[in-house]
Amino acid sequence: MIQSARIGLLMLCTGLSPLALAHNPICECEEHGTGEIVCTGGFSDGSGAPGVTLDVISYEEEVLVPGKLGDDSRLSFKRPDGEFYVLFDAGPGHVVEIDHTEIASQ
Amino acid sequence: MSKAAIAPAPSALGRFWYKWRFHINVLLVLIPLGFMPKYFQDVALFRGASGLGEREFGEVQVGPWSLRLAEFRNQPPQLEGPAGYMKSFNAALCQACISQVKVVYLRIGKPRSLRAAGGLFFGSPYRMGTSIPIPPRTKPDAELWITAEGWDGTVHQASIPLAEASPATLAWLKQQGDKP
Repeated sequence: MIQSARIGLLMLCTGLSPLALAHNPICECEEHGTGEIVCTGGFSDGSGAPGVTLDVISYEEEVLVPGKLGDDSRLSFKRPDGEFYVLFDAGPGHVVEIDHTEIASQ
Repeated sequence: MSKAAIAPAPSALGRFWYKWRFHINVLLVLIPLGFMPKYFQDVALFRGASGLGEREFGEVQVGPWSLRLAEFRNQPPQLEGPAGYMKSFNAALCQACISQVKVVYLRIGKPRSLRAAGGLFFGSPYRMGTSIPIPPRTKPDAELWITAEGWDGTVHQASIPLAEASPATLAWLKQQGDKP
């Protein structure tokens, strides 16, 4: 009985292992009526991203809002003037860029 | 007068099983055999025995270095949950530059900075892999940009048209563009 349970567990872990490998960074930003942009970061395996860097950068590569996501994996900031993009930076190769044109208002 | 109980007649399903059980079991052994060519093809792909990927699209010169690039699967981007559509590519550094190149990034469109250089190739320099997001709004004339950083701190970039790098992705993008 215990042997069967062990084999079952092994097969389950083997079957689910590809799911554990995939954890791409995800980030979504939306503007609320008052010109306040709220960005939410995380990973595709469902985990949050508290403390991960999220910078708002102008097209001239000037960091306008240097920030880190809060405990709820969110960061809010006032919409900067001019052209900018949001960079969710969870480490080299684990970044998400969101252009200001892609941030829809609610 | 005999009191022996009469056995109930077997059901139709019972009769079917009794008659065909041997053949059904043989079929259960034969069905997996039909999937074996696909299985061995996949094993060869994952181990690298069948090449860098399903479709190699040539050698790209990135500054003083060069690398061979391939689509891991010759197919359109695949939806990977909330991360959106992802596409996997493989790369192999040239023999002479293995010791010189620290990191290679890949992304659709020219990177704005080294921080946003895209997906990071990981694995052995003879066969590295990465998976990059392909936004459905990507223009068909987009380019795949390769950014390589050396151990000496130098950064070099090169690009290759997406049409050349992945015709399957281009066809998929055209389909996305046709959708209302």
